[in-house]
Amino acid sequence: MESSRKQRWQQLQSVFEPGFKQMLLISVLLHLLVPILYYTPLFPKHEIEKPPVYRVNLVNKIVKNPQAGRPEAAPVKQKPAVKPKPKPEPKPAVKPKPVPIPPKPKPVPVKPKPEPKPIPPKPKPEPKPEPVKPKPEPKSAPKPAPVKKKPQPKPAVSKAQESALEARLKKMRAAQKQKASEQARKDKLAALRAAAIAESSNIESPTTDAPVGMMDGKGDQAGVSAVAFVQEFIQKQWSFSKYQAAGSPEAEVKLFYNAHGTLLHYKFLKKSGNSVFDESLIRAITKSRQLSQPLPESMEFHIIFNLKDMLDKS
Amino acid sequence: MKTFEIGVLLIILLCLPFSVAFAARIEISAPGEQTIPLAMTRLLPMGVGAAQPAIATEFQQVLLGDLDLSGLFDMVDPAAFLGDADKLGLRRNDIDFNQWRMLGSEALIKGGYRVTAGRVTIELRLFDVITQRLLTGRRYVGKLTDVRKIAHTFADQILKSLTGEKGPFASKIAYISKRTGYKELYLMDVDGYHPIQMTNHRSIVLNPDFSPTRKELIFTSYSKGNPDLFRKEIYTGRESRLSLKPGLNIGGRYSPDGREIALTLSKDKNSEIYLLGTDGTIHRRLTNHYSIDVDPSWSPKGNKIAFVSDRRGNPNIFIVDIHSLDVTRLTFEGKYNATPAWSPKGDKIAFSRMDNGVFNVFTIREDGTDERQLTFGKGSKEHPRWSPDGRFLIYSNDLGGEKSIWIMRADGTGGRKISARGGNDSHPAWSDRW
Repeated sequence: MESSRKQRWQQLQSVFEPGFKQMLLISVLLHLLVPILYYTPLFPKHEIEKPPVYRVNLVNKIVKNPQAGRPEAAPVKQKPAVKPKPKPEPKPAVKPKPVPIPPKPKPVPVKPKPEPKPIPPKPKPEPKPEPVKPKPEPKSAPKPAPVKKKPQPKPAVSKAQESALEARLKKMRAAQKQKASEQARKDKLAALRAAAIAESSNIESPTTDAPVGMMDGKGDQAGVSAVAFVQEFIQKQWSFSKYQAAGSPEAEVKLFYNAHGTLLHYKFLKKSGNSVFDESLIRAITKSRQLSQPLPESMEFHIIFNLKDMLDKS
Repeated sequence: MKTFEIGVLLIILLCLPFSVAFAARIEISAPGEQTIPLAMTRLLPMGVGAAQPAIATEFQQVLLGDLDLSGLFDMVDPAAFLGDADKLGLRRNDIDFNQWRMLGSEALIKGGYRVTAGRVTIELRLFDVITQRLLTGRRYVGKLTDVRKIAHTFADQILKSLTGEKGPFASKIAYISKRTGYKELYLMDVDGYHPIQMTNHRSIVLNPDFSPTRKELIFTSYSKGNPDLFRKEIYTGRESRLSLKPGLNIGGRYSPDGREIALTLSKDKNSEIYLLGTDGTIHRRLTNHYSIDVDPSWSPKGNKIAFVSDRRGNPNIFIVDIHSLDVTRLTFEGKYNATPAWSPKGDKIAFSRMDNGVFNVFTIREDGTDERQLTFGKGSKEHPRWSPDGRFLIYSNDLGGEKSIWIMRADGTGGRKISARGGNDSHPAWSDRW
């Protein structure tokens, strides 16, 4: 078998031209060279320009240390929304216990002894009220402690009162049950909502728990950074028509605002050379003499004005 | 020890930049508002003399039309005007700028008129509401019939002070109209008013063009049987034949310096582009090809001419260098490209292209890039020509079965009909500033 295979291989080799192996090697090497060459400066890579991110500040509350995050993340509310998620699971088990608190006062002092005896399955609060009835009787003798219960044990003698008590207990139990079921329903709803929110934010980005914040934020306060606020404010005040544009003017202005949001002084660091453009900036700055909100501190801004976005669109 | 000192110095030097106060850098790459909010009050009568509200109404209508066409402004609704609008105050100190600022206005036009002995005086002011400065002010005196002209002239002035370049509203448009049953040459205002018949050849008149230096027009007329090139002085009405070579003498266009005329001649049985002197003598033959070469249009520098040729099959736009006579092809798309018009700024060439049986206006750069379709929809839009400032285009449109002259901004927006019905108007040409 082996020899025949060898023979076949030799036959195959004889078909190839003499320099085949070398050529094959060279070919492989050349192919390897392609990706290597691709990463050399011979092939300049054009960076894909990211589309501009449009940020809409619905609430322009300026804070000193805006938190960092992604604009597409859900608002800060997300945290409480996510929290309920773990809750719903343990709660249904835990909550029923706190729920029966109202009936507590009666059985509490009594519970310890009689409970284990008459009913071995203690876990649920529902059975609790049941043993309550027989208990008050034996206990009333040894322990005068349940002072509050006095009205109960005493009238317990009369059947009418007993039945009244039972009715009351029943009512309470029903209320309790209703409360429990309501709570369970609420929890379920909360869980579903949380899941839905988590899912919906999952669609947009894989990290749902990223904080909401500004792109330029580094702090921990929820709100807009002063820089973003001032940028938006001044941009709103600036009116300039594309029919006024000649070339691609650009000017740089230094503005100094105090903490009250009042412009103290401004200076053109670089004029555009286009008087119409520069005058429109002066108008925008004059209109921005007083910001609509105070700043966290006195701040200086270097603002570059140009028409890149406007001229791109036309 | 020395190295330690140097080290300390270095550390201090390195720390220096950080000790400088923090200044946030912001880039604002587009204005928040892309129109200028402008308030325009009605002209108020000045001094003694009877009030003539018709003057104010006509003036306002013309000025508003021009400003609207410019696309620069967002007019503040006059219904919102406060008390200051009813005060004549034309001086800076007389104006309550805060009122105008409250209305969101950034610019304010105020004015007054006075009529004495059949002459009207109109005083106008343009204020910057924000900086409370006077941007421009003019006093015009003229006949009662000059109100429209005064409004156009002030519109040009407004554009000058808000864009740095005068508007083209106080100029004229020449066009061919069949109002009398014959195709004759007419002249009208930029908004279509005051049409004046210039020729009475009772034949066919075509392809008018304005001289850049004189109040003079050239056009082709069949009045003597052959399509000859004529010249006409606008104010004197004097007319002469400039080129009467056998065959076609059509599509004459003045060079930017007014010294030569490019036109199509077919004296050698084939239409070619030639350069003529203003005395009608042939200076130069620019094309030499067995195909049809027509519709020359000068570059504003006067060194190149765009023309239409079918030398590669379908009619396309080509450019010939008048010194080297090198020909380059400009358009490659479409089955029929015609009537090129080089913009006065030199950056674009407008032309009309037929697609699905309908002509539309396009622009393209001289290097063949950035081709844009400006008009869409029904109606063939042909013969585009630029305004002298390159802001607007005029063209003929046969929407509704009858040709008429339309005007639009150079980006294709704001298109509107300016010539009156019933003229079958075509072949517009925009004069230089009048």
